[in-house]
Amino acid sequence: MDVLRISLQVLLALTSLFLTLLILMHKGKGGGLSDMFGGGMSSSLSGSSMAERNLNRFTVAVALSWAVSVILLGVVQRFA
Amino acid sequence: MLTALARAFRTPDLRRKLLFTLGIIVIFRLGSFIPTPGVDYTAVQECLTQAETNSSLLGLVNLFSGGALLQLAVFALGIMPYITASIIVQLLTVVIPRFEELKKEGQTGTAKLTQYTRYLTIALAILQSTTYVSIARDPARLFGAQCTAQVVPDQSVPILALMVLTMTAGTGLVMWMGELITERGVGNGMSLLIFTSIASTFPSSIWAIGQENGYAIMAAVIFIGLFVVAAVVAVEQSQRRVPVQYAKRMIGRRMYGGTSTYIPLKVNMAGVIPIIFASSLLYLPALVAQFNDPRAEWVLWIDRYLVRGDHPLYMAIYFLLIIFFAYFYVAITFNPDEVAENMRKYGGFIPGVRAGRPTAEYLDYILTRITLPGALYLGLVSLIPLIALVLFNANQNFPFGGTSILIVVGVGLETVKQIESQLQQRNYEGFLR
Repeated sequence: MDVLRISLQVLLALTSLFLTLLILMHKGKGGGLSDMFGGGMSSSLSGSSMAERNLNRFTVAVALSWAVSVILLGVVQRFA
Repeated sequence: MLTALARAFRTPDLRRKLLFTLGIIVIFRLGSFIPTPGVDYTAVQECLTQAETNSSLLGLVNLFSGGALLQLAVFALGIMPYITASIIVQLLTVVIPRFEELKKEGQTGTAKLTQYTRYLTIALAILQSTTYVSIARDPARLFGAQCTAQVVPDQSVPILALMVLTMTAGTGLVMWMGELITERGVGNGMSLLIFTSIASTFPSSIWAIGQENGYAIMAAVIFIGLFVVAAVVAVEQSQRRVPVQYAKRMIGRRMYGGTSTYIPLKVNMAGVIPIIFASSLLYLPALVAQFNDPRAEWVLWIDRYLVRGDHPLYMAIYFLLIIFFAYFYVAITFNPDEVAENMRKYGGFIPGVRAGRPTAEYLDYILTRITLPGALYLGLVSLIPLIALVLFNANQNFPFGGTSILIVVGVGLETVKQIESQLQQRNYEGFLR
């Protein structure tokens, strides 16, 4: 059980770091605070490029593995 | 109304957007319940039931995260770091000349500023999760003295670091999900996420009032809440329309202009931002006091006057701060000189006012006068929960309180308007008549 837990923890640490980096690599689409609560036109007509789409896919994959490792760690801890 | 909703779902484009938004919201809510690894879930639940009312310090932050904060969930910080980062960057545009330049640059400059905001968000997330994890080591400070269970069983450094890392990544994920909603869904993602977290606490807090104070009071609270919602909607929608006439111009063989429109000057142009600014500013002394000796003279003073919301001094400071920030924010976002300049460039003028500087002065005059009732209204609405605290003896998470109701109504209106405009591309009738 210990081996499983430690390997999951390492996996979680790695995916956390990776996820943060990947998210920072995206181009910010929210226009900040000014158009957050009313006002401001959000006109994002531009489609996403191929690189952006690959980045999206990659981020989703990492996010999924991050979530899975968080949940598995919770399960392991519950039954430890 | 219902047929409009059905029509919204029958439009394939809009249906995809709505479902996408709903999906992200579901993921966001799920993440607010998954505990961070290293946290003892049963101990947290135990402490939560014991110390429902005792969390006035972290009350607002907990509200913004939809209760995820006190659950020590992976999304514990929610979007609070992003809000704080946006506020900071917004304020810095006044102070740092380079930021001001970027803001004036238009699209590319704004994109750069957004990028700075994102970096700052991650930095703040690291900072806040570290403080938060260090507080959580001693559960009595988080939940009140009754809580004796050990929330974080294993307090070795690697585990704590892992918790910080996980929470930071969670915050980043929330930020990205918000951006995804803005990009592919309906409405503005960040505000929708705040909306969900605040709205999710409504039913449970109403229920709590019913159980503590009786169901007659619960009905009264709901009634007052509906009344406040109606009043808030009325003020949010009200605006002064300054007429603008455009001169006819011939360019080549085409005729341009000749139309008459208006500039809408909203009574409450700043939205809820003054309230958020004021409450985060008032939260600072409490935060500082928390890290110091709890018996020191000034810590006791802060505890007495600035932490609990029912003291008159606290209310007065809060009120004044909100009025100040209302003016401040309107001054940042609406620049009369720029508007006047643009109008002159395209041959527009306000009837009876000369173009150029007199127009700017006229707009400024109207704006200053119209913002006064707006600011007073914001201040009064935000005092509702504090007054209710005294009247009903309810806890500070009073559901129909100022901040929450303003955010919920503001975001709701904005989102419905956006769906409406999408719907009108295909049908003429929408939600709003």
